[in-house]
Parts: sequence; C-alpha cells; structure tokens
Amino acid sequence: MSAIAEAGSIALPAPGRARPAGVLLTLASRRASLTSKTPRQIAVPLLGPVLLALVVAPALKVATGGLHSHIDYTSFVGVGAVGLVIPLSCIFAGLSVLVDRHSGAQRELLAAPVPRAYLVLGNLIVAIGLAALQVAVLIGLSALRGGTFHITGAGVAWFVAAALLFTVFMYGVAETLASRVTKQEDYVGATPAVAILPFFFAGALFPIGAMPAVLTAIAKVFPLTHALALMRYGFIDPSGKGLHDIWGMHNVTGEAWLSLAVVALWAVALTAISIRVFSRSAVS
Amino acid sequence: MNNLKRKQSFEAEAPERRVRLRSIDGLGDSTGVAAVEVSELRKTYPGGVEAVKGISFSVAPGEVFGLLGPNGAGKSTTIGMLTTTVVPTSGTARLAGYDVAQQPLLARGVSSVVFQDSVVDRPLSGRANLELHARLWGVPAAQAGHRITELVDAVGLTELIGRPVSSYSGGQRRRLEIGRALVSTPRVLFLDEPTVGLDPRIRHELLDVIAGLRAREDMTIVLTTHYLDEAQRLCDRVAIIHEGAIVALDSPRALLAGLGREILEFRVSGSPDAALGALRDRGVAGEDAFAVGARVTVPLHEHAAADALAAIESEHLHVSEIASRIPTLDDVYLHLTGERMAHAG
Repeated sequence: MSAIAEAGSIALPAPGRARPAGVLLTLASRRASLTSKTPRQIAVPLLGPVLLALVVAPALKVATGGLHSHIDYTSFVGVGAVGLVIPLSCIFAGLSVLVDRHSGAQRELLAAPVPRAYLVLGNLIVAIGLAALQVAVLIGLSALRGGTFHITGAGVAWFVAAALLFTVFMYGVAETLASRVTKQEDYVGATPAVAILPFFFAGALFPIGAMPAVLTAIAKVFPLTHALALMRYGFIDPSGKGLHDIWGMHNVTGEAWLSLAVVALWAVALTAISIRVFSRSAVS
Repeated sequence: MNNLKRKQSFEAEAPERRVRLRSIDGLGDSTGVAAVEVSELRKTYPGGVEAVKGISFSVAPGEVFGLLGPNGAGKSTTIGMLTTTVVPTSGTARLAGYDVAQQPLLARGVSSVVFQDSVVDRPLSGRANLELHARLWGVPAAQAGHRITELVDAVGLTELIGRPVSSYSGGQRRRLEIGRALVSTPRVLFLDEPTVGLDPRIRHELLDVIAGLRAREDMTIVLTTHYLDEAQRLCDRVAIIHEGAIVALDSPRALLAGLGREILEFRVSGSPDAALGALRDRGVAGEDAFAVGARVTVPLHEHAAADALAAIESEHLHVSEIASRIPTLDDVYLHLTGERMAHAG
C-alpha cells in the first residue's frame, strides 16, 4: 500500500472573478440587509444623543444662561451630540462583525475570491450610511427644538467632510476592537472607553477652553475635538471659535483645513490598521 | 456509474482530456494540473502544537477524495490551509494549479467549502445566501438565477428557499450550504465533516444528496469525515490521517483488501499480547493482527475461522464475544494506528 498514490491530471478552466466595485456593493448590500433585520441597531444609538439635544441642552441653557456668546447653546449641544451618536453607531456596527464571526457567514466570506480588505470596506460603507441617517435625524430634531443653524453650501461641505472622516475613524476603531476581542462581553465592556469617554473631553457640551490647560491640551489630540469644531464651523459658528480654541491662529479657513487633515489622518490610519488586524486575525 | 467505474473511466480518458488552456493573468500554469496537489504541507500553531506534519497527496479532477481520521487528527487544519483560512508553516498546496499561498484569490475562485459547523447569514433568506455566493464568486447574473433554481431543487429546498435561514432545521441548513457551495460550479468542493451533529436519518438523506450531486456535477470533492461508512460510500480514495500524518492512502477497496475477506474478533481475559503471540506462533494470526484493550482482531486471510477457533482452544485462551465478520475501514484504522476511530483524539 503506497503512502502517496499518483492521481490523474487535467487542465481546468479559469476561476470566475467579480469586479471590485461589484464586490464592494455586494458586501455592503449584505451588511445593509442584515442591519435592516435588527432595527435596534438603527434606533438605540440615537436615544442618548437625542435626549441630550432635546432635553438636556435646552434645560442647561435655561439653568446656566448658555454660552454667553453669539452661539446658541441648544444648537451647540445639538452638534456636540453628533460626537456621541457616531461613536455609538459605529460600535454597534462593529458588534455585527463579532456576530458574523461567531454565528454568521464570515468564514464563507473569507473563502470567497475577494480581497479580505473588501470585507472591512463593505461594512464601512453601511456604517457611514447609517451614521449619516442618524446624524440627519439628530440635527433635524435639534432644529425643531429651537436650535439655530446657519446652513450654507460651504458649511454643509465642512460638516459633511468632518462627519464622514470621523465616522471612518470610529468604524476603524470598532472593527479593530471587534477583531482583537473574542467575546461580545469584552467588546461591550470597552465601549465606554472608546465611544463615550472622548465625548466628555472633546468639547461636546462646553468649549474645550473651559477645561484646565492640561485637559485642553489632551483634548486637542482627539479627532473628535477637531471634528466637532469643524462641524460647528460649518453649521453654527462661521467665526470658527472652536477651531481658534484648538489652533490659536487668525486664519479660520487655514485652521479648518488643519483640523480636517488631523481627522483625515486618524481616519486613514485606523482604516489601514483595522484592515490589517482583521486580515491577520481572520486566519490562523 | 459507480465510483470505481468513474475512476477507471477518468483514467482512460485522462490523456485525451489534457488540453492546454490559456494562462490566467499570467499567474497560473493551467497546463495539465491535478485538481488538488499538496506537497510536504505542515502547520505548527503558536505554542508548538504540530497539527499537520508534512503531508503530501494529489487528487485528480472528478475524484472524490476522503481525509479520514478522528477529531484532532489534522483534517480540518488541512482543509483550512487549502481554503486559505489557515496559513501553512511550510510546504505547498495548489488548487487547479493555483498556489494557495501565492495566488489565494485564484485558488479561492476555483473552490467552495462546506464548513463543519453552520456558516450562513441566518436572518437572510436561503435564496439571499445563495445569491451572495453567486455574486462574490463572479457568476454572471443571467446564469446565477437558473443555477440557483436548479440547485435548490436538487437539494430539496424549493418550498423553503424564500424563508429566513433561522427557521431551517439543522439538516435543511446543511443542505442549503451544500447547494450554496455548488452555485459557482467549483472545480474543487471541500466538505468538512458535512454530516457531523446531524441525526442518523438526516445524515443518510444528506449522503444521498451528496451522492446525487456527485453523479450530476463533474467536480473534485475533498471530504473530511470520521464516519467510516461515509468514506466507504462516497470516496474513490481515502487518506487516513493520524496525529497530523498520512498513514495510508488508497481506495477503500484496496485498504480493506489488505486485511483479507474475513476477520475474527474476540475479547480475551488475560494478556492480549500473550494471546496474539500464541496465535502467531500457531500460524493463524499474522503481523496485521492487533489488540485494542482486551479486544483482539485477527485478519484470517487464507485461514478458516475454524482454524483460529481450534488454535484458541488448544492454547487454552479464555475468550468471549467471539465473532467473525468482514473487515471495515475501522479495522484498517485500528491496525494502522492502534486507536479506535470513534474514541481517538
């Protein structure tokens, strides 16, 4: 009995190959279908931020007299709450990566003839869409509650660019965390640190200059600080006071570009890290 | 066509079927290649666990090849390396000529896998799961619809295919996964313990489905199992894996032939080794006789069972539960490894 028996041979046809854009669309469409089956993933991240924008901000405005500046406090917190809704939305989206791994089709996707980076990017596309929907609802409700917004074309562009890049960054954090932990409990346990803690330091509820100097310096490192300053510059603060608190320059446009570059840098870095961590952790 | 005839037919046709096809993206040499070619493949996990110890084998197109062994033998690690979800420590593996380490996308493009446990999107419908596979594997939309309809019918899920997979039974999910793996018409289909955890009735139903598909589809199947009857029923050849190494590779018929047409099995009180020695001295047991615990198995070859019984009596061996029967792959496995398949690993 021979250990290795010779087998016959034959030429075989080429494997099928899907186009990259089509693959990304397919993966995003799958994620969107799965997300639509769990409506809580859409609604739950909105609850806290909506409460902040609709109840807490107007109450604090009455109790403290607001910011004592040209900026309306209700709209200030309305935009600040975006700094909570995006992280929570992305953390929920990252949770689905764990579900995929434990009881979903992740291994089928890993066996598919598509680059594994696409699995991360497909999820990212849906996370962006979902966050956009939630941010629109939040800002809309804040406006209905009496927030004052100065909407211009350029302002919208700054707001959207900042929110988009910050979402990309946060999803990178969520995907990296999901790839690193093995249990959902560990993932959920990390949520306060990665999604909620920065919210309190990044000037979401008050200008960062109101904190002690050392905390202000730390806040300037967080991408959320830059993203919030940019979003307020776009919608409620054309003078760029938040950006000036960060950079201390006199050219507000220059400050905006610098902050956008900081958020973009974080977004690119975390996306690259998340793809690398996912690709390495998905195989043994 | 039974397995043997299929193989003989393939071997007769093979020279004519060796045609030169164009190379794909300049990466693959698609000239006359085996469907699966594994050479000195080795996997050592962090911590030093050597799961696969330099195995080599080759599988012909159209062949059904079984990797047989107990849990922990290295079967699933081997499948993992072939499907690019486990990184080999050393050695090479090729699917249809594509190196799984150097050309993973092309290797994945010619293969599909049915995993040991359920790997599906349960909230989605069965059809959505199949369509996802079709799109990822680049099956043209016009063909995919027809292909899915045909396969859903073949695996008997027509009535259920629009329902969420979460409402399927274990057997229905497994049939869906087999159908899904076939949507892209893979050249190589990996079935990793396809019937494990299923009740006997569903298991036999599923084996019928696989056997039926095998007759319809001209594809190579690599099947891992620790159920010997599955291997005997479905495989042209089997490799018996023990502790990460291949200890035998041949057709089930050839492996069984090595033990002759009949074996005698009995339980002995006292030393099984002494009993074996006594029977060998009398010439009724050969080197292939073996003992596992108190149970002794003696391939009879040219001897009659009566000769062996006479020897047992004249040696005054205290035996019980004596039976003669035809050998099974379990006996082959026991002979080669000294472990019973169902209890090992």
